[in-house]
Amino acid sequence: MRKVVVPGELVSEKKVEGPVYEDDGKYYSLIYGLATYEGERVKLIPLEGRYMPKPGDLVIGVVQEARFFGYLVDIRSPYTGVLMANETREKFTEGDVISAKVKTVDEVKNVFLTSPRRLEGGRIIEIIPAKVPRVIGKKKSMVLMMKQLTGVQILVGSNGRVWLRGPWEKMSKVIEAILMIEREAHTTGLTDRIREFLEGEG
Amino acid sequence: MSLEDEVRKLLSENVKKAGPRALRAIARKIAEEKGDPNVYTEAFKVAARILGRPKLIVDGKRIDGRSPDELRTPLRIEVGVLSRADGSALIEWGKNKIVVGVYGPRPCIPKHEANPYRALVKARYNMAPFSTPEERIRPGPTRRSVEISKLLEEALSSVILLEEFPGAQIEVYVEVLQSDGGTRVASLTAASVALAQAGIPMLDLISAVAVGKVDGQIVIDLNKDEDNWGEVDMPLAILPRTRELVFLQTDGLLTKEEYKEALKLGIKGALQIYEVQKEALKRRYML
Repeated sequence: MRKVVVPGELVSEKKVEGPVYEDDGKYYSLIYGLATYEGERVKLIPLEGRYMPKPGDLVIGVVQEARFFGYLVDIRSPYTGVLMANETREKFTEGDVISAKVKTVDEVKNVFLTSPRRLEGGRIIEIIPAKVPRVIGKKKSMVLMMKQLTGVQILVGSNGRVWLRGPWEKMSKVIEAILMIEREAHTTGLTDRIREFLEGEG
Repeated sequence: MSLEDEVRKLLSENVKKAGPRALRAIARKIAEEKGDPNVYTEAFKVAARILGRPKLIVDGKRIDGRSPDELRTPLRIEVGVLSRADGSALIEWGKNKIVVGVYGPRPCIPKHEANPYRALVKARYNMAPFSTPEERIRPGPTRRSVEISKLLEEALSSVILLEEFPGAQIEVYVEVLQSDGGTRVASLTAASVALAQAGIPMLDLISAVAVGKVDGQIVIDLNKDEDNWGEVDMPLAILPRTRELVFLQTDGLLTKEEYKEALKLGIKGALQIYEVQKEALKRRYML
C-alpha cells in the first residue's frame, strides 16, 4: 500500500524509516514524499528535493576550482565537494568531469571526496536525486538492463547526475528512457515498459 | 463634543485623502482616547457615513454575493509551474494570481550573512506593475512589500527545519501578477506548497487566510473592497495539524468576543485552504 504524503501529515503509528518526527506516539512526515506500507515495515522516501551527500555515495561532479589543498567540486548540492590533493595522483583542471565517492561529511557540511576518476567524453544529464534509486533498480536491475540492451556505458550518481557514453542514437534512446523513469518512478510495471521501449525501433 | 463632531474634526485634520487607512485610524484614535473598544465600531460607522461609503453587506450577502463564511472562488493551486526553480506554485484565489518560486537550499551569499548553525530564509514579495486596476505600480520595493517580505520570512522560518542546512539560504520569490485583496495570505499559502515541492523539510504546511469585520459582521476572506473599506482586517496563518498560529496581524480594533469569533472562523477557513494545498501536491502523483 502506498500513499503520497505532505509535510505534517500522519504517516503511521508504528516506527517509520525516513524523514519523520514523532509527536505523542505518532509519526508525521517532514517532507513531500511517498510512504510505503509493507506489513510491519513503513518507509518514507522523498518525491523531490536537492541532493544531500552521505558517506559512501557515488557522485558525478564537475571540478570548479583548483586550490592549494586540492579541488572544489560541484556536486549539485547545497554543499560543495572537496577533493583533497592527497586523495589522488592525477591532476585535474577546472571543467573536468569526475566520478567520486563521498568519504565524509563534517558538521559544517564540508563534503570530502575520495577515489576520483576522470570521465572522458560522453554526456551528462541531470535528474531529480530522489529518482536515482529507480533508475538503478533493485540490485542494479534497471541500469544493467539498459546497458545490456544498448551497449551504452552508464554511470548513475546519487546526486542525480548520470554520465553516458556510446554511439549518439543509442545514447539518445537511453536518455529518453531515463527521463521516462524519472517521470513514472512512482508507478508499477516500469521495468517492462522500459525494456519494451529500448527493444523497440528508434 | 459629540462622536460625530470628533470624527469630523479628525477627518478634516487628516492630511492624506480619506482613504481606508484613514477611517480605521480615526476610529481607533477615538476609541483609544475613550479607552473603550466598542466605540471603535460606532466611530467607524459615523466616519463611513460622512464619507458616503456604501454598505458592504446587504441582506446578509456580501458585495460579491458570498455569505460571511464563504471563501472566494476560484481557489486553485498548481505545483511546479517553474521548471528552473527547485520548487514553485501558482495560486489563483478570487481575482488574485500569484507565482512563487523557491531556490535552495543553496550556499548563502554574501558569505558574511551566512549563519553557521542554520539556513536563512530570504523572501521577496513583489507586485507586478500591471497587478492592480489602478495606475501602473512603479517597479521596486515599497514599505508594504518589504513588510510582507519580512513576515513571509518569519512565518516560514518557524516551520522549516533550518538546522538541517547550516550556512545555506532558501530564497522565496513571490510575484503578484494580479491583486485583489489578501495577497499576503495567498503568498504564504503558495510559498508553503512551493517549499514542499522543493523537498525542504517542514513540520507542516502553512495555511493562511484573512478574516475581518465588515459592516459589523465578522467575515472570512476579504476581497479588495472589503479589505479597503471594512472595519477590521486580520490576516492569519496556522499549522493545520496543531492549529497553532504562525502569523497574525490586525488592522483595526476588535473586542475580545469578536476576536475569538474571528479566530474561530479564520481557523475553519484555513483548514479548507489546507485541503486545496494537499490536493495540489497529491494530484501530481496520482497512483
